Amino acid sequence: MNLQYSPKKIYDVSKSQEAFKRALKVVPAGIYGHLGPSEGCMIPVSSYPLFMSKAKGAYFWDIDGNKFIDYMCAYGPNFLGYNDPDVDAAAIEQLKKGNCATLTSDLLIDFAEEMVDTINMADWAFFAKNGGDATNFAVMIARAYTHRKKIVLVKGYYHGVSPWMQKLGYAGVTEEDIANNLYIDWNAPDQFEKLIKKYPGQIAALIATPYFHPTFVDNQLPPEGYWQKMRKLCDDNGIVLIFDDVRAGFRIDIKGSDYHYGIKSDISCFCKAIANGYNVSAVCGQEKLKNATSDIMYTGSYWLSAVPFAAGIATIKKAKATNAVEENKKKGIILTEGLKEVAKDNGFDLRVTGEPSMFYLRLGNDYPSTIMHQEWVAECVKRGVFFTSHHNHFINAALTQEDMQYTWEVADEAYKVVKKNHPDAKYI
Amino acid sequence: MDNVTKARINLFAILRNIEDLCEMDPVSKDLIKDVKLGVEFNVPEVGSAVLTFADGKCKFTRGKGKSALKLYFTSPEHFNNLIAPPIDAKTGKPKMVIPIFYNVFKAGFLLNQFTKLAERLSYYLQPAPDKKDELLKDPDYFYANTVLTAYTAFYAMSEIANSDFVGKAIAKRMPDGVIACEVNGGPAMNITVKNHKFVTNKGKVAEPRATMVFGDMQFAHDLLNGKTSSFTGMGTGQFQVKGYVEMLEQMAKLLTQVSIYLA
Repeated sequence: MNLQYSPKKIYDVSKSQEAFKRALKVVPAGIYGHLGPSEGCMIPVSSYPLFMSKAKGAYFWDIDGNKFIDYMCAYGPNFLGYNDPDVDAAAIEQLKKGNCATLTSDLLIDFAEEMVDTINMADWAFFAKNGGDATNFAVMIARAYTHRKKIVLVKGYYHGVSPWMQKLGYAGVTEEDIANNLYIDWNAPDQFEKLIKKYPGQIAALIATPYFHPTFVDNQLPPEGYWQKMRKLCDDNGIVLIFDDVRAGFRIDIKGSDYHYGIKSDISCFCKAIANGYNVSAVCGQEKLKNATSDIMYTGSYWLSAVPFAAGIATIKKAKATNAVEENKKKGIILTEGLKEVAKDNGFDLRVTGEPSMFYLRLGNDYPSTIMHQEWVAECVKRGVFFTSHHNHFINAALTQEDMQYTWEVADEAYKVVKKNHPDAKYI
Repeated sequence: MDNVTKARINLFAILRNIEDLCEMDPVSKDLIKDVKLGVEFNVPEVGSAVLTFADGKCKFTRGKGKSALKLYFTSPEHFNNLIAPPIDAKTGKPKMVIPIFYNVFKAGFLLNQFTKLAERLSYYLQPAPDKKDELLKDPDYFYANTVLTAYTAFYAMSEIANSDFVGKAIAKRMPDGVIACEVNGGPAMNITVKNHKFVTNKGKVAEPRATMVFGDMQFAHDLLNGKTSSFTGMGTGQFQVKGYVEMLEQMAKLLTQVSIYLA
């Protein structure tokens, strides 16, 4: 790639680092969870911004005033662009009318209708706040419907942070919490079949993401016929098929990822992209599950708030009008093809896996340690392009060709730094 | 927590510290200066280990080996009671635990030097709560305490990964590779994982899959003693990790299990 550019400015993140020291005094771990330096794999932490001051479109600014092109998109919620004017206008209009009151707004119905009209498998919709609320509820529905206990999960899964979703040996998780979990590998219908035979009439649900997108490893798309086999095994054995579309929802297909891969799930869980950053998640289900769902007591103080409903409706309408899902896919392909070219020009073997709008990056040069890739990511972050080394990325509709051009320039400069630091590494 | 894993920790993580104790502690060094003896410990369901004393040094070896004094324990619990004797309800004092031994002529070492070495190890690893803060003000004591605690933790971690129910579940999620651990200004260790089996060794390695570096001895001391957290250290940069972080995440979970066994 013919790149001509001036050296990029190296960002100073000292205000973030100072603020983090303050945070440590009053917040466990300073910043907990996936946005924190530990779970967020910010290595070395001195290269990373930790607190944002504002966000707009494809960018966020940190409290040091540095601007970043954001390829994590808040780990998914940024779908149309931060502070999308149409989504914000709908939310603000509703905020003026009312948000959290003793009665819910009839926007509940409008949003549910919008979801049912949009998501191919949906006959009804139920709203909560986070993806974990949705996946947890989906499993409860499956158990209520089937009167069975066991749940099958695909190893490498992430469905949220409730104790049953975590693993033995994780802090605060007991053996009893996961006693009804059964595990299979990705792309292993034979293992699913064996479990069905081993636990006849005991498996309530299979919960899985549409494709294999765990952290730290190459992502894998489902091979031809995979989901059809799994669907049939569920149908033949009275097992509820739950699609955890929390991360991939609206990033593969506006009609749902199950539709994209040629099947109909029984339950699909959505969050992240559906309201462009406003706090709402959704469980969509088939008609046969509606009565069982109605009988479950499951709610939260803010689950029927009207503002996120307004934002969700506006998000879906705009996504359809702008063909955002397809456009984001195209951008993902252009961006990653460019990154691969830049990497190759510098002797690096950049591997890109997963769906284009949720691409995962790693280097072939430094396998199995990932140390050079981590250094490259840190060098990119220091120059205003926010990648991570452990997790898939996200494309949002506000990303421009100029942003991608800048990204390639930063990637090029960062690869040159890494190469200089590792003169004896294996290069292509 | 199970007795077999506890005995493995006692044998392969705690007892092995006598090797380092005799290097770092002048009192221990003096105790063994004229000793030329191999002592073999045999624990059912756990295995064997030998402490070899010669030329003023001690060497710990896993497995059976040349030894004039052989000690046999009837069960893992029997051995655990030697390392941490239960308190006699009548006297309020620790019960005497006697192993079955071969070579009565060498039993004097067991009753004299070995007992004193065990006391020195406790002095460093388990100081009396009312004296601990004062002892830690002494830089030599602080160094020995931190190094021995680190060795204990990382050797114990491998035993837990290979033996304990929860540990094995965590180990099952661990990919193959070598993890390098280092304390700036202190010791280095490495953990090799192959087919979910763990082996801890001292020293640096050339091409680890993942590394963790404790910024200094104070941070290592605080982390190993539960006075700070790894998440906090990663945020402040005092705990630097790189490479295949998934391995370190699983290792952190194993280290949590260590604290349960050593509590």
